[in-house]
Amino acid sequence: MLELRRVSKHFSGIPAVDDVSFSARPGEVTGYLGPNGSGKSTTIKMITGLIEVTSGHILFDGKSIEDDLIAYKRRMGYVPEEPYLYNHLSGVEYLTMVADLRGIPPRLASKRIDGLLRLLSLYDDRHAAISGYSKGMRQKVLIAAALMHNPNLVLLDEPFSGLDVGSALVLRSLITELAVRGKVVLFSSHELDTVERISNRVIILHRGKLVADDSVARLRSLMELPTLEAIFSQLAVEQDTDSMARQIADLIDA
Amino acid sequence: MRKLIQTLLDHIGARLPLPFRVMHQQFLLRVVDLEALSIEADIPSFLGQFAGILMMLSFVHGLGVLWFPPPPSQTWQYEQARVSDVLLVIGLCSVLMWDTTFPDKRDVMVLAPLPVFPRTILMAKLAASATVLGIAVIALNCGSSLGLSVVFGAPAGGLLGMLRFFLAYWFTMFAAAAFLYGAVLTIQGCAVLFLSRRMFLRVSAILQLAAFGVFLGVRFLQPSLTTHAEMTAPANHWLVVASPTFWFVALLNQLNDSSPSDLLWLAHRAWISLGIVAAGALTSLLLCYMRNMKKTVEDPDLEPGTGGRHWIPRLGGSLQNAIVIFCLRSIARSRQHRVALALYWSVVFAVALSWIRREISNPPEPIALDFIMSSFVMMSFAVLGLRGIFALPVSLQANWMLRVTQLQPTGQYVAATRRCLLLFGVVPIWTMVAALSLHLRPWPQTAQHLAFLALFGAVLVELCLVRFDKVPFTCSYLPGKTNIQAIFWGFAFILLALGLLLGTFEVDAFENPLNYALMMLCAFAAITALRTINSLHARSAVLYFEEQPPEVLTRLGLIFVPPAPKISDLPKSSQP
Repeated sequence: MLELRRVSKHFSGIPAVDDVSFSARPGEVTGYLGPNGSGKSTTIKMITGLIEVTSGHILFDGKSIEDDLIAYKRRMGYVPEEPYLYNHLSGVEYLTMVADLRGIPPRLASKRIDGLLRLLSLYDDRHAAISGYSKGMRQKVLIAAALMHNPNLVLLDEPFSGLDVGSALVLRSLITELAVRGKVVLFSSHELDTVERISNRVIILHRGKLVADDSVARLRSLMELPTLEAIFSQLAVEQDTDSMARQIADLIDA
Repeated sequence: MRKLIQTLLDHIGARLPLPFRVMHQQFLLRVVDLEALSIEADIPSFLGQFAGILMMLSFVHGLGVLWFPPPPSQTWQYEQARVSDVLLVIGLCSVLMWDTTFPDKRDVMVLAPLPVFPRTILMAKLAASATVLGIAVIALNCGSSLGLSVVFGAPAGGLLGMLRFFLAYWFTMFAAAAFLYGAVLTIQGCAVLFLSRRMFLRVSAILQLAAFGVFLGVRFLQPSLTTHAEMTAPANHWLVVASPTFWFVALLNQLNDSSPSDLLWLAHRAWISLGIVAAGALTSLLLCYMRNMKKTVEDPDLEPGTGGRHWIPRLGGSLQNAIVIFCLRSIARSRQHRVALALYWSVVFAVALSWIRREISNPPEPIALDFIMSSFVMMSFAVLGLRGIFALPVSLQANWMLRVTQLQPTGQYVAATRRCLLLFGVVPIWTMVAALSLHLRPWPQTAQHLAFLALFGAVLVELCLVRFDKVPFTCSYLPGKTNIQAIFWGFAFILLALGLLLGTFEVDAFENPLNYALMMLCAFAAITALRTINSLHARSAVLYFEEQPPEVLTRLGLIFVPPAPKISDLPKSSQP
């Protein structure tokens, strides 16, 4: 189980994540929601160990991740928000490098890489330089890199970004399948419909603070709202969206 | 120098249209590849330092000529050397500025939606290239032109003769530079026009390296024809016909009115070739901008797979293999890193080519100080150059992957870097020196030298690894840390002095087995000591991916931190 206990992160004294506590359990898909700048990606980066917490603790299976960060990283797979890759490598070269860095035996790595590339429809372009890949193809490389070592904890930061409809449907089913197989899955997304469909629980963050943590069904009944979109709008959207759209149009018309 | 160039650029810039000025500034930034050679991310600084190095060389040469004036019979020898130097420097600049004059996808995507004419983009790019090339030619010849004008121009015609030589000299040098850059542009333009974009991108990288080899090869392998008899000898006819160096020497003499009539055809050749490359470069550039700019957007980015040609043997354990192959691919595929490394390796190739030339023309000779010293210099430049480019990141944003997969202690990463330095720095140079040594006698001494050279390379590698707690090509660096002028002169003087010192000792040691054993023992001891230091440091070191800026930069002086009180100022009760 992944647990965050009163985790905060301050940048130059300004809180990006403020006293956030929640847990994500094995076998469950936990959706992590929030508007831009609410601290979602910062939280996920803290969970990966890429940035340090200012205060609080992150625990995985009851142990602080700082106690043995290397052992923790072996069990974690991460898809970052932006598809930044080494552009001078090809897809297969990148995945082979990740496999080597993770210490996966070459034969097993080769088998898994080939399989993942075929299933993700990247096999024909596996030797092409990543610089030529579309955003969706890059996203698929990231997903393959995150999963090829069969992690126990899967962290997905906006994983649907750039994917075509077919690939997005596959990923949606894959997330559910990973949870069914006992993995801890935490994923952030702006696609509320998808989050509503596949998440067992949702956590909503607003201005670095946790404003909701429950199952979608319970949130719907508690807040007496019909959809997750309505709940999210109530909790995390401050401005009147229609009025703002009108203001923008007025500004460029003037 | 920096201020002068800045003032000059501002002064010229103020008179030009704004879109042209903005684009010229942007293209200049990319022409000189500041990512690779960052000096405070400041173009005038870079150009100033670059010019400073060339000016220093030029003034040393000019003063040397004035101090020890050569006889008039050596006029052609000196002129040939200067033309060759200009061709080499402009050639290396062309390699550094490869592809930057032609429209690339980024230009098209960014500039095409804006109301900017293609001709403005072309003019701005040409102006950016001309700025760099102009600075190179002026800096390289400012001292030499004065020295040579006084020595070779004044005796023939007094002040007027001196002035005439001076003007002829400058015109010739600019003409030679224009010819070479024009030729490079013509060849590239033909490649752009006649090849598919995909094929062009592949061929372009090969052409760049080939051009680099040709420029160095011509400069260091081309025989010097210093007399009229040599220039007109039938045996040398093919050389003077084929080599632009002799055409432009003839042009200089034609303009100075000092050319023998039977060599005027060479000067005509220079004029004709200038016309051809100017027409070729302009035509190909215009066609590229008119025809290919839109095509660039239409061309797919994705190159098809190339089957099983990507197999590389495993080069160590899992982590070492990953890092070593990552380094190999970064060097091979990143233009920026290739060019930066080429600058260091140009010294290596220059020395090697000089030795090859000597090997071809002379019978086997005994091993001597100059060869030993050269091999140390080659090894030093190769290893330290490699270490230099390791500090330049390939893609900082992609480093998250290395951080997430950091499953081994720092020592393992240091070991992988060591392997890279040995494989891509020490082994190629050692092999090259071993091949060059076939010419040397007696063989036992050559073998002794090769054994010591291997240890010397290993010492350099360990020195490079001191406090290097990072993965090659991944760590960010702070602007302003690189100081190309200081590094260049530091390298030149320290390495030459070190090479001389070691070489002298080694030559003596060949006669005395005890001294040789002592020298080898010292090298072993140095390797062991440095390796122990590096291993001990790596145990507690944390791999880092970003340089930490000094606190003064991050605080910008806004926070006042009071100095720690002196013990004597503390109340007595608080004192220890």
